[in-house]
Amino acid sequence: MQISLENVTYVYGEGTPFEKEAISNLSLTIPQGAYVGIIGQTGSGKSTLIQHLNGLLKPTSGTLRMGDLEINRKTKQTREWRRRVGLVFQYPEHQLFEESVIKDVMYGPLNFDMPADMALLRAREALNIVGLPYDEFKDRSPFQLSGGQMRRVAIAGVLAMQPQVLVLDEPTAGLDPAGRKAILEAIYGIHQEQKLTTILVTHSMEEVARYADMLVVMAGGQIVMQGKPEDVFIQAERLRSLALDVPETVSLIHKLNQRLPMDQQIPLTLYREEELERHLLAMLTSGKGVRR
Amino acid sequence: MSMLTNFAIGQYVPAESYVHRLDPRSKLLFVILFAFAVFMANNPVTYGILTIFVLSGVAAARISYGYMVKGLKPVWFLLLFTVVLHLLTTKGGEVYFETGWFSIHEEGVRQAIYMTLRIGLLVLISSLLTLTTSPIDLTDGLERLLAPAKKIGVPVHEVALMLSIALRFIPTLMEETDKIIKAQTARGADFESGNMVRRAKAMLPIVIPLFVSAFRRAEELALAMEARGYRGGEGRTRLRQLKFTWRDPALAVILLVIMGLVGWLRA
Repeated sequence: MQISLENVTYVYGEGTPFEKEAISNLSLTIPQGAYVGIIGQTGSGKSTLIQHLNGLLKPTSGTLRMGDLEINRKTKQTREWRRRVGLVFQYPEHQLFEESVIKDVMYGPLNFDMPADMALLRAREALNIVGLPYDEFKDRSPFQLSGGQMRRVAIAGVLAMQPQVLVLDEPTAGLDPAGRKAILEAIYGIHQEQKLTTILVTHSMEEVARYADMLVVMAGGQIVMQGKPEDVFIQAERLRSLALDVPETVSLIHKLNQRLPMDQQIPLTLYREEELERHLLAMLTSGKGVRR
Repeated sequence: MSMLTNFAIGQYVPAESYVHRLDPRSKLLFVILFAFAVFMANNPVTYGILTIFVLSGVAAARISYGYMVKGLKPVWFLLLFTVVLHLLTTKGGEVYFETGWFSIHEEGVRQAIYMTLRIGLLVLISSLLTLTTSPIDLTDGLERLLAPAKKIGVPVHEVALMLSIALRFIPTLMEETDKIIKAQTARGADFESGNMVRRAKAMLPIVIPLFVSAFRRAEELALAMEARGYRGGEGRTRLRQLKFTWRDPALAVILLVIMGLVGWLRA
């Protein structure tokens, strides 16, 4: 499902001395089936933006559209919108409350009036997707799991609602490398399998480089760059001026290109690790360009 | 969000003003003594003096009147209740209106106005205190004022510490609540429909995670305090000393004038 934002502005604490504009006049279209990475420093407006995507915040001015639905300042009902867009918050494990894993995962589907047997089925699927075998985990208390497992239960809780758009706010914050990889791979898996529109908010350039096919860079409540990853990564200087960096692969390509002759320059489109590796291997084995 | 952002009653608003820079001890004492003055007032002149004083105090603190009125929101009901009660029950003086058992008397109207003013003034002056004093200053001031009570075994330092921790964590827990409400709303939770039992049940997904995180925070805080060598108030020095300045005697003079005027002009 395509989501589009038109001139969306949001002001926190309107009419108090603490008034603050979090995002200003923001326009963006997220195409159906895309995997969008949103990056930006803390306080750049990322979190505010994604709460709009889920209908939790209503814009102070401007409009959001998805299919036949619309949200603006005056919209009252956002439930249908919310059903279509699943939002996984930062540290989602803090929202767990049920006595067993399966009950917690079923909470969302049941809230959206899904029949119990159907909800159970979906919860079971969702748990398997995030790599927690149903039979082993269903009856355990979510509070006795490890941090990484708790987070996966929370993500399963959103997946079980079978949203058409999935929004994740730093799903890997505070996890070890293995836990990060497991969660990101699971998300990428369902993104590809179900053509699920996925929006990933992160600080890590490596993560977006690996998965996203569209990047949105935010700073000071505005979108400062957007487009294909290679088009964003080519502006390394600009990214650095926003206190962001390019992925390791991109800076490696930049460094190599400075030493390589013009006809052997490595294209920036090879920012994914595997592709770069293949390209470099091909160069090495063909014996070209390896002069000291 | 909306239900929590409006909950900014008495939240410290940093600014540079005479009122802000008063010593917290003076402000605390002033509020207590001012309350006495409010209870002494019993005629239009004395109430007028106090009202003018509070309003100019708000102006001196550079806080907008609109914001102060918003701060009165939680007591609107109390004010309204007071007015209605006095109108209905206080008898005496001229009768303004009468149908059957129901009548409004001169005395009732007067008491309704006085009581509303009394509550309003007390709420305004105490929210002026919290609006212009940071929580840390406030508890520091309280600890110093209550210091003599240590001699009779009152754990003043501990009470002040508890108070400042509680104040410190109000915004944190508020934010946490807000986050959890949002997270559960995103999972389709509905806190508004259904009967009392249903609604109370709907609160569980908020209350349980909130308790879990409050306990976790408490544990972490205790650990962090111990790790930095906290061992109670005994022999503890302060980074920021409270100091009286010229502003504080000036406030004392203002207070004396007000008390004097109210004492002299009251009926």
